[in-house]
Amino acid sequence: MNLIVKIAWRNIMRHKGKSIIIGVILFLGAFLMTVGNGVISGMDHGLHKNLVNSFTGDIVLVADKQEGDNVFLEFMGKAVEPINNYIDIREMLKGQSFIDKYIPVGKNMVMVLNEEGGMPGYTYVLGADLKKYNEVFPNTMEALEGELPDVDSKTVIVPTGARKEMFDYSGIWFIPKGGKLITKNLPKDNTADTNSIVLKDSIVFMGYNNDNTTSDIRLGISTIVKYKALNTILGHFSLMDIESYRMALGYFSANDKTATLSSSEKKLFEMDETNLDALFSENGSDDISGSDEKELSLVSQVDTTTVIGSGKEVDLDAGVYNLVLIKIKDQKELNAKVAELNKLFKEKNLGVRAITWKKAMGMVGSMAVLIKGALFTFVMFLFFVAIIIIVNTLSMAAIERTTEIGMMRAVGARKGFIRMMFVGETAMLSFVFGGAGIIAGAIIIEIISLLNFTSDNDMVQLLYGGDTFSPLLTTPDFIAAIVQLTLVTFLAVVYPMKVASNITPLDAISRD
Amino acid sequence: MKIIEICGLTKDYPLGTTTVHALRGINLCIEKGHLMSIIGPSGSGKTTLLNIIGCIDHATQGSVKVAGQEITKMGDRAVTDLRLHHIGFIFQTFNLIPVLSTLENVEFPLLLMKKFTKGEVRKKAEQFIDEVGLREHMKHKPAELSGGQRQRVAIARALVTNPDIVLADEPTANLDSVTGAQILDLMKEMNEKEKTTFIFSTHDPNVLKYAKDIVKIKDGLIEEASAS
Repeated sequence: MNLIVKIAWRNIMRHKGKSIIIGVILFLGAFLMTVGNGVISGMDHGLHKNLVNSFTGDIVLVADKQEGDNVFLEFMGKAVEPINNYIDIREMLKGQSFIDKYIPVGKNMVMVLNEEGGMPGYTYVLGADLKKYNEVFPNTMEALEGELPDVDSKTVIVPTGARKEMFDYSGIWFIPKGGKLITKNLPKDNTADTNSIVLKDSIVFMGYNNDNTTSDIRLGISTIVKYKALNTILGHFSLMDIESYRMALGYFSANDKTATLSSSEKKLFEMDETNLDALFSENGSDDISGSDEKELSLVSQVDTTTVIGSGKEVDLDAGVYNLVLIKIKDQKELNAKVAELNKLFKEKNLGVRAITWKKAMGMVGSMAVLIKGALFTFVMFLFFVAIIIIVNTLSMAAIERTTEIGMMRAVGARKGFIRMMFVGETAMLSFVFGGAGIIAGAIIIEIISLLNFTSDNDMVQLLYGGDTFSPLLTTPDFIAAIVQLTLVTFLAVVYPMKVASNITPLDAISRD
Repeated sequence: MKIIEICGLTKDYPLGTTTVHALRGINLCIEKGHLMSIIGPSGSGKTTLLNIIGCIDHATQGSVKVAGQEITKMGDRAVTDLRLHHIGFIFQTFNLIPVLSTLENVEFPLLLMKKFTKGEVRKKAEQFIDEVGLREHMKHKPAELSGGQRQRVAIARALVTNPDIVLADEPTANLDSVTGAQILDLMKEMNEKEKTTFIFSTHDPNVLKYAKDIVKIKDGLIEEASAS
C-alpha cells in the first residue's frame, strides 16, 4: 500500500497541471455542495424553528376523515374536518410524557362580507383560546396598530397579509377599534389619495363548512399584527377567539354542549328519523308523547345566542375544533412519536390521526426538502460534468503513461496494482482538494452566520427560513458532502482504471 | 537442465487484410545458466520470440515451457506472477519508473513479491545497486541518470529477484559503443556470478563475442544455432 501511495503522490506532483485541473473541479464541487447544504440546512432549521415554535407545533392532529394532510395551506380553501371529541383526546395527550404543550384550534377559510356591496372576499382564520394560544406560541407577533387584546375578548387579530388581501378585493382598509388610518402602512399605490379609502374597524365573517351550513358574525378588530418571522406565510391567518370562530363556522360552541336540556329537549334529540318526520306531518304534534305547546316553544328557542354570555362557567374544550397543535419536548425521532400517537388513537378509537408539521404545511413544510433536492440535482449535474472532465483527463494520463504502466506489468505488477495506483491518485486529489472545498465551504458558512444578514422582505425571509440568514452545517451535511465526493472519485476513476489496467507490456513495446 | 523448451512455435499478426507470419515454427531448448544471443536482421522475429518467452505476447501455435511451466495456456494473473518470480527484463529504452529513485526502482519487484521484510528488501536492493556500480546514484531519479546508468539500474532490478531467466531486447541499441560494452560485460559477469540464464537479442555483430550460444533467426525460422 505504501508503494502505491508513494507512486500515486509522486505522479500527482509530476503531472501538476492535470492534477490542478482535476483538483480545482473537485474543490469547486465540494465547496458548492457544502455551502448549498449549509444554506438549505439553515433554511430548514429556520423554517422548523419559526413554523414549529410560532404556528404549527411539531405534531398536528386532524380528524380521521380529513382528506389529505395539507390542512394549513390548501389552496382551494377546502374545509378542515371538525374534531368533536377534544376532551377525550385531551385526556389521552395528558398521559404522553414526550409532549410538552398542546392547544386545540379551529382552522378554516371564511368569507369576508363586503358591507359596501361588493363581492365578498375570503381569508383563513384560526380560532383559539387566546390565553392558551399565547402560552403555547408566546411572542410570535408584534402589534403594528392597536393593542394585543385581553384574553377573554371576543375579537379578531388581523395580520398585515390578510388585511392587504381583504383590501385588494374589497377596497376596505381595516383598522383596530379606536384606531385611525396610518398612511405609511397602506400599500404604496394607495398613499396618494387616502380620502377615498373606506375604513372599518370590524369585519363580518361568514363561515361555511362541508355540511353547507353557514352563519355570520361581526367581530371588532383589536390589533393589526405582523408575525415576527415568516409573515409571508403566517400573515394570511387572522386569529379570533374560539367561540366566535365556532359561531362563524356554525359549529357547536362550548356553551351549546354544556347547555342543560329540559326533558322535552332531550326527547327531541333522542327521536329517530321517523318521528322527526312526523313532526312536520299534519298530526305531528300528536306523535310527540308527553310534549305540549310550552315545551315546544322552548325547543324552538335553543340556539347559540340564548346561552352565550349567560355568565355560566363553560369548558371551552367541549366545543368543536379542527386541529390540535402539539409541541414535543425532544424533536428527535418525530416520525416515531407520530406513529406512537397514531397507534394510541387507533386503539382508543378517537377518530383523529397525527401528522408532522411538514405534512400539515404542505409545500411550505417541504420547501427545504424541495430546494435541497433542486440543489442536489444542480450539484450532481456539476459533478457529472466534473466526472466527464476528470475521466477524460485521467484516461489521457493513462494512455500517456503506457510505457511506464506496460513496464510495471512486465516486471510483475498485477492489474489490481495498476488499478489501485489510479484509485490512489484520484482519491488523494479528492481528499486534498475536495477536503479543502469542504473546509472552505464550512468557513464561508460560519462567516455568513456571524454576519447576521437580516431581511424584512417576505420572500427573502422564506428563503432564509426566518428574518435572519443563518446557514448551518450539520453532521449529515458533512457526511453527504463526503459521500458525494467519494462517489465522484469512484465514478471518475472507473474508466481510466480500466484503460490503465488493460495496458499490456506489449502495448508499451509497440509504443516504444 | 532445460529452463526454456519451445516446440513448433508460430506467431501470426493480422496486418490489414493480410497476415504477417512473424514466427513460422521455432523449436528451441535453452539450458539453465547459459548466456544466449538471438541475432538476426530487423523484422526477423527475434523480438517476437523474446516477447513470447517473456510471457508478454501469446503464441499462435506451439508449446512454450518456461521454468517448467507451459505458458501458452496460462491466464493473465498466472503469467504476471511467472514474470515476477522467474523472469527479469531489460528493455531498450523504457526501463524505469520515472517517479521512483534508483533504489526504489530496484526495490519495486521485491515489494510486489511481498515475501521480504522492508529491511531485507532494502538490503538486497542496495547489494545489487552496488554490484552494478551505482551506489553514488542510489537516490537519483531516472531523469538524473545517463542512458548507461539507467540500463545498469535495469540490470540490477532484473536480477534482484533472483530470476531463472533475464531477457534483454537489444539492451545496447541506444548506447554508445563504450557504454554498450560495459553493459554487456556486466551481464556476462552477472551470468557467471549468479548463474542466471541471459537471453538477449541484437543485430550488432560486435556483441556476439559475449554470448556462449548464438541463435540466428531469419524470416521467422531458426537459420543457425551454435555454441561459441
